[in-house]
Amino acid sequence: MHLNATDIVREDCEQVAEEVSTLEALRGECLLITGGTGFVGTWLTELLAFLNDRYCLGVRIILLSRHVQDFRDRVPHLALRADVSLIQQDVRHVTELPSEVGWIIHAAGTPDNRQHASDPLRVMQVIVNGTASVLEASTRLPDLKKLLNTSSGLVNGPQPLDLAGIPETSFRGLDCGSLAAVYPEAKRLAETLCVAYRNQHRLPIVNARPFAFVGPYQLLDRPWAINNFIRDALQGGPIRIQGDGETVRSYMYGSDMAWWLLRILVRGAVGASYNVGSSRGVTLAQLAEMVAGGLPKRPRVLLGVSPVQRLHHSRLVPDVGLAQDSLSLRQTVDLETALRRTIWWHELRGRVEGADRGSKSP
Amino acid sequence: MTVMPRKPKHLGPEYQGCVDSMGTHDKLRVAILGSGNIGTDLLVKTLRSPFLACTLFAGRNLASPGMAKASSLGVRVSDLGITAIIREPECCDLVFDATSAADHIHHWAVLEKLGKTVVDMTPSQVGEMCIPALNLEDCLNYRNVNMVTCGGQASVPLAYFIGQVHPEVEYIEVVSSIASRSAGPATRINIDEYIETTEKALRVFAKAERAKSILILNPAQPCIDMQTTVFAKVKHLDLERLRPLVEKMVRRIQAYVPGYQLAVAPILENGRAVITVKVQGRGDYLPRYAGNLDIINCAAIAMAEAYARARIPVLKDPQYGGSPHD
Amino acid sequence: MTSVLISDPTLRDGNHAVQHQLDARQIALYAAAAEAARIPIVEVGHGNGLGASSLQVGESLLGDREMLETARKRLVNSKLGVHAMPGFATINRDLKQAVAVGVDVFRVGVHCTEADIAQRHIGYLRDKGREVYGVLMMSHMASKEVLAEEALKMESYGAEGVVLMDSAGAYLPCDVTEKIRELVKSLSIAVGFHAHNNLGMAVANSLAAVQAGATIVDGTARGFGAGSGNAPVEVIVAVLEKMAFSTGVDLYGVLDASDIAEKGLMRVIPSITSVSVVSGLAGVFSGFAKHVERISGEYGVDARDVFFELGRRNVVAGQEDLIIEVAIELAAGKRGGGCI
Repeated sequence: MHLNATDIVREDCEQVAEEVSTLEALRGECLLITGGTGFVGTWLTELLAFLNDRYCLGVRIILLSRHVQDFRDRVPHLALRADVSLIQQDVRHVTELPSEVGWIIHAAGTPDNRQHASDPLRVMQVIVNGTASVLEASTRLPDLKKLLNTSSGLVNGPQPLDLAGIPETSFRGLDCGSLAAVYPEAKRLAETLCVAYRNQHRLPIVNARPFAFVGPYQLLDRPWAINNFIRDALQGGPIRIQGDGETVRSYMYGSDMAWWLLRILVRGAVGASYNVGSSRGVTLAQLAEMVAGGLPKRPRVLLGVSPVQRLHHSRLVPDVGLAQDSLSLRQTVDLETALRRTIWWHELRGRVEGADRGSKSP
Repeated sequence: MTVMPRKPKHLGPEYQGCVDSMGTHDKLRVAILGSGNIGTDLLVKTLRSPFLACTLFAGRNLASPGMAKASSLGVRVSDLGITAIIREPECCDLVFDATSAADHIHHWAVLEKLGKTVVDMTPSQVGEMCIPALNLEDCLNYRNVNMVTCGGQASVPLAYFIGQVHPEVEYIEVVSSIASRSAGPATRINIDEYIETTEKALRVFAKAERAKSILILNPAQPCIDMQTTVFAKVKHLDLERLRPLVEKMVRRIQAYVPGYQLAVAPILENGRAVITVKVQGRGDYLPRYAGNLDIINCAAIAMAEAYARARIPVLKDPQYGGSPHD
Repeated sequence: MTSVLISDPTLRDGNHAVQHQLDARQIALYAAAAEAARIPIVEVGHGNGLGASSLQVGESLLGDREMLETARKRLVNSKLGVHAMPGFATINRDLKQAVAVGVDVFRVGVHCTEADIAQRHIGYLRDKGREVYGVLMMSHMASKEVLAEEALKMESYGAEGVVLMDSAGAYLPCDVTEKIRELVKSLSIAVGFHAHNNLGMAVANSLAAVQAGATIVDGTARGFGAGSGNAPVEVIVAVLEKMAFSTGVDLYGVLDASDIAEKGLMRVIPSITSVSVVSGLAGVFSGFAKHVERISGEYGVDARDVFFELGRRNVVAGQEDLIIEVAIELAAGKRGGGCI
């Protein structure tokens, strides 16, 4: 029986951390995470905190973010740790980084597609200007060993429906004249900036392309299918699927994501790009059934709740052969378990995160 | 580059001597927090004022256009935000907070301890609601005043007089239409707060039991000026009493918002009192069509100048402050 | 067989036609008839939606809560829907109450270029587990590219569909085809259409929309609605069934409902009046009609001139206060104030 929500995450970290010797290079080092208070940053901090506690890895974690106070309020068990320090700063305006930083995970930039639509300028500035600022500041770090840029699986462009998993090398065009291009184009430019800095300034940069994730610390108000299903389920259902539910997605659990990112940071080849995500594609209809199965009292699942004539199927599933083969990484948490634990975590936290956050500064 | 203060036209010749003899050390020292459009527009207005001196322009990004503007005007800038004031508290007496509601709460905690006076441009609702045309004098007793909303600044003085002439009025309504381009992401995500704050100001100042505020965005190009209409349900509207009071109030507001004009004089139509005003901005830093942003900035400057003059009794001018019935 | 979702705002758009004076008996009467006809969504409320009862657009006889509760009691299989415009309706005062009363479907409406003001409202309603659609009003005033972008915003906020409104009744069928096609291409959620009949195009436009891929269509009994009214729901259902689309609506039921509405709700059957033709050409919100007529009479100016001037100023829904100003100016011009 779990005592509280943080126990779930701690257990997840325990399960995923094997062959910790592969992270030996981080021992006693200083690691900076930009966008450090978001989903990625919080999971990485949880995992590093566990490694420090269990294996005395001695990593000093610095989180750089605009939402430092929010982090302190939400996860005091991390914010108050002696090995965690917080820098309140907008990544667009970074000019200097602490000189003791030896490793950087650049995770600033929100995948919240509502913001991509409502405030595309800020999104692009954070991703493009933010990446440029961090890279420029990194050129003056005396001890930088590696910088991991978190890009996005969307840079490859739309995935062909008959391609099971999209590899790092496959690219199709985006219509750059569309508002929907704001996020992927910004991420593509950020990757190219990394190439230029790597080449011209010899910065040790490795690139990760995250796909989709599920887990504790993911805010349910972001209207992605998986969040909608979980929220519908937590409210007793029914789980409502729009259209015919044949769109295919894949989801990796937060602990696997954090482990993969740390391994890519330490062992990834400079100049390489690695997909991070689950290669197991599921249709939204299957996903809804899995979510339903994660609750003691199984809610109903309703298909085709709104009439969509032209059925837009899309597929977004990575081919993770490169990470698996060259870095011996594997997905350890299957989707059913991931969903169950995520639902438990939300239940233990007692309430579903609300969508009404207008008075927070954007 | 130093900007010399010009004698404002609305002061009569009898103030000539006092203005000329005022050096910077007599002016109220003002710091501006927030280097966005609002803060930068306030900067330009502050520099024009004979009673205010801008001693610090503090934001978070030295590369922002506002910072560049401030530097070009010879004003001291800092990218440390509130920390710049913490490090050098004696640099200013009054602070304009043009950041965000969430940040203001943190800023006020600091500035209150430092004994500063704050004019809050955010919708935080922390300080005393300030409508210069109505309660300028009263606000001098408070160290933190809040500039309500643009619709509030435009309409509340008029609603006040409807309430004065017809104390039986239970319901007052205000509709503001603004140019789409004058509403940025912060305004758009906070429309409900805008409505609630404006309604609160209407209930408090006009003493109406119920109030309603409506906000309409219009994307027409060329951009429309801000238009605000005040409605009240009154059976026998006393236009004879109301009209001169409204006209006087409009002139009073024009003293600090030159682009404020009456578009529809008080009339009774279909059982409702109707007054429409339009506001065109000065175009200091914000474009002219952003009358909504200009009116709230002008009101803020008027309040700051009142604080300044309160320290110099000889310059107390009944045209600015005093009671609305003067 | 493709299905089309019929949404019926007789008790909301129709309120425009009677200056928002529908009473409880009338609401109960039509709601029961719509339920019997198996009309999927029955939209109820002030013509401008939740929280819109005001001196600006007109006060409704009943408060929002009473209108909704009255309809709620009569609707079992049919869903209770509302229209809500940020800027009029707030989350705390209006949406919360509607959720509490048990509204099933929320259509959050904005001027067609301002979708981002609906972000929080859509998010709030999604959070409460409600069906939420976005509505782009006065959509004749924006290009198809802009409409697609604004619709994409609404999709990103969690709307299940986006409805294009021809609030002024200004469209021709080819306009509708072009715009609906663009939305269907750009969105992965449902696309809908809401017609007005100022230029006699309501039914044709609705069909064009369906043929271009729209799967949601609005219709009201006999077209009872603002200005010249909407597409008549009984005609839409009949024509769609004739074209082998399925609506799930009972034909006799909807015909009966329209007869009931004709006798019990309307003072006059909607028709295309001269003033409505002009407001359609001028591209002005149909809800302005009664206000323009009244105020034009008061100032002794031609209502048609007022509409053309309002159209020239690109007035949007909710700007009824501009009518007085325009009437005053036109009256001053008439009295010889406009010599060269």
